[in-house]
Amino acid sequence: MDFFISQFISGLSITSILLMIALGLAIIYGTTGVINMAHGEFVMIGAYTSWFFQTQLGMGLIASIIPIFIITAAMGFLIERLIIRHLYNRLLDTILATWGIGVILQQLIRLTVGSELKYLKIPTYMAESMSLFGQQVSIYRVFIFLFAIAIFILAWFLIFKTKFGMKLRAVTQNKDMASCFGINSGMVYSSTFALGTGLAALAGAFVAPLKSISPDMGTNYIIDAFMVVVLGGVESLIGTAASSFIVGGTSSLIASFSNDTLAKALVLVLTIIILRIKPEGLFTRKSRS
Amino acid sequence: MIKIDIFKNKFLLYGLFCFVLFLFPLIVDDPFYLNKMSTYICFGLLAVSLSLSWGYTGILNLGNAVFFGLGSYCMAMSLKLKTDSIHTGSGGLPDFMVWNNVTELPWFWEPFYSLSFGIFAGIAVPVILAIILGYFIFGGRAAGVYVAIITLAAMIVVYLIILDQQAYTGGDNGITDLSTLKLGNLEFDAYGSSAYYLIVSVMTFVLFLTLVITKSRAGLIFQAIRDDENRVRFLGYNVGVYKTASLCISAGIGGVAGMLYTIVMEFASPTFMSISLSLSVVIWCAVGGRQSIFGSFVGALVITSGQGFLSESETFLHTWTLIMGMVFILSVLFLPKGLAGIVDQKRK
Repeated sequence: MDFFISQFISGLSITSILLMIALGLAIIYGTTGVINMAHGEFVMIGAYTSWFFQTQLGMGLIASIIPIFIITAAMGFLIERLIIRHLYNRLLDTILATWGIGVILQQLIRLTVGSELKYLKIPTYMAESMSLFGQQVSIYRVFIFLFAIAIFILAWFLIFKTKFGMKLRAVTQNKDMASCFGINSGMVYSSTFALGTGLAALAGAFVAPLKSISPDMGTNYIIDAFMVVVLGGVESLIGTAASSFIVGGTSSLIASFSNDTLAKALVLVLTIIILRIKPEGLFTRKSRS
Repeated sequence: MIKIDIFKNKFLLYGLFCFVLFLFPLIVDDPFYLNKMSTYICFGLLAVSLSLSWGYTGILNLGNAVFFGLGSYCMAMSLKLKTDSIHTGSGGLPDFMVWNNVTELPWFWEPFYSLSFGIFAGIAVPVILAIILGYFIFGGRAAGVYVAIITLAAMIVVYLIILDQQAYTGGDNGITDLSTLKLGNLEFDAYGSSAYYLIVSVMTFVLFLTLVITKSRAGLIFQAIRDDENRVRFLGYNVGVYKTASLCISAGIGGVAGMLYTIVMEFASPTFMSISLSLSVVIWCAVGGRQSIFGSFVGALVITSGQGFLSESETFLHTWTLIMGMVFILSVLFLPKGLAGIVDQKRK
């Protein structure tokens, strides 16, 4: 039983990271219809920015959260303005363009920072363990979980309780009609992209102390995040959260019995089978649109 | 005077092109360059395979390299079992298995003692994977972006499994130290002109095969599916079956390209089914012209030989990848039909 609890808790922190990544991916896809292939690279950029702030500028992890979000969100905003914007009438081509952006970001990091692995320490005040359900749990992992929950609630609030959220939902439902009512849909698209990339970068900043930092680290997370989006559909935030927990939970459960590779393979098989039965995702109602 | 437009008469264009490549060894009689040229042609065939599924049928297969990799491994397994016993452990056990403390040849290696089985598997394994993927993806009528994601994920999973099962697949090192291919009395040395002629012959066959397919009734339905899937469905065609068929043909050609690549490279490596190769294939097709088989082939040939001509230092490779990324984005933005699109426009 103890084994399960400790597995569950360590799985929970990875699931929280996955939730942050998938949330950004799902918000972008749900609003603009663009699958952002460079999303994993923004996780990587987030990790590198965090590394830069902490080792080169001597800032703390908490203090660097907001600057990391602002910098990467600005990058997302610019990329949408410069490139993605021109491809909304060719949605499959946005996959190609964002894939190209991902390659460019990876290579820029390789050429400037270098290919070798970088490591970050967990902040000292969070490096200790605490007792939870009779288990010794690292405070940092609990912190990640709480932070992800906070981000999720914040995203929900932003989308359902603010004026921006109302515009975003209007543009998602019908872009042309929303524009007729005076909503600047182009601005909504850019902001959505900025929000999504910012979330990915935060996930990267938090995962960095748990794993090593490398230019191709994004790939490890992006496939799981894709599976979350395919499984959950993009109709609701709750769907994204639920499927994050399904994918993250299943992977860490299987991984505890065998290894990561088998876990990834089984999650993919599961996703493909579900895609056959419910092509719109698990958490969507049948609609006529 | 009769004016023959070779861009209009594709049979003539392909014939001329294949003829020139057959003459290539007469002009360049250097084993190193012949070997290089052979590898570029293998990549060209891989681009043809993607052009058929993506450019003609609209299936954006981001995991196209998995077919190439599987074909390559099938050929490598057969050739590995043909190596002299000096290179292998007791009872003809491949060397990497001995290092990994495997005592007995695993059951799925057994049939590869037969070279014909290896060649058959090099096509059959990718096609079976394509059928399975097609059944699930197209049967459920998944949206285009989901197809892209699932194919990419499937490739990564196969890649991870091969890395993980080091004892049976050679893991990160792949399968090395292969014997040369012998068919009957013919021996295909990777650096000799025999292997080059083998590859150009297969290339000629594949190019004309795809030409026939694209001109056939099925080829027209492929293109109709690409342009408007629902309309084809309303006309009573089973779109899922046609899409799966297109993916299978693409997988078969990818497998053949992979087998040929192993013959000239003399090893198989997990990088043959990596994301970066898959991305490269997409770039070759996008730049050359995805909706043109010939454009994709030439795109692959030009880009890979360009990459080969320039130095191979690591910094350079990173810069090259960076430049290719930019070229890719620019061509997606401004030249959706690639260079072949420009040629088409000039003629009008």
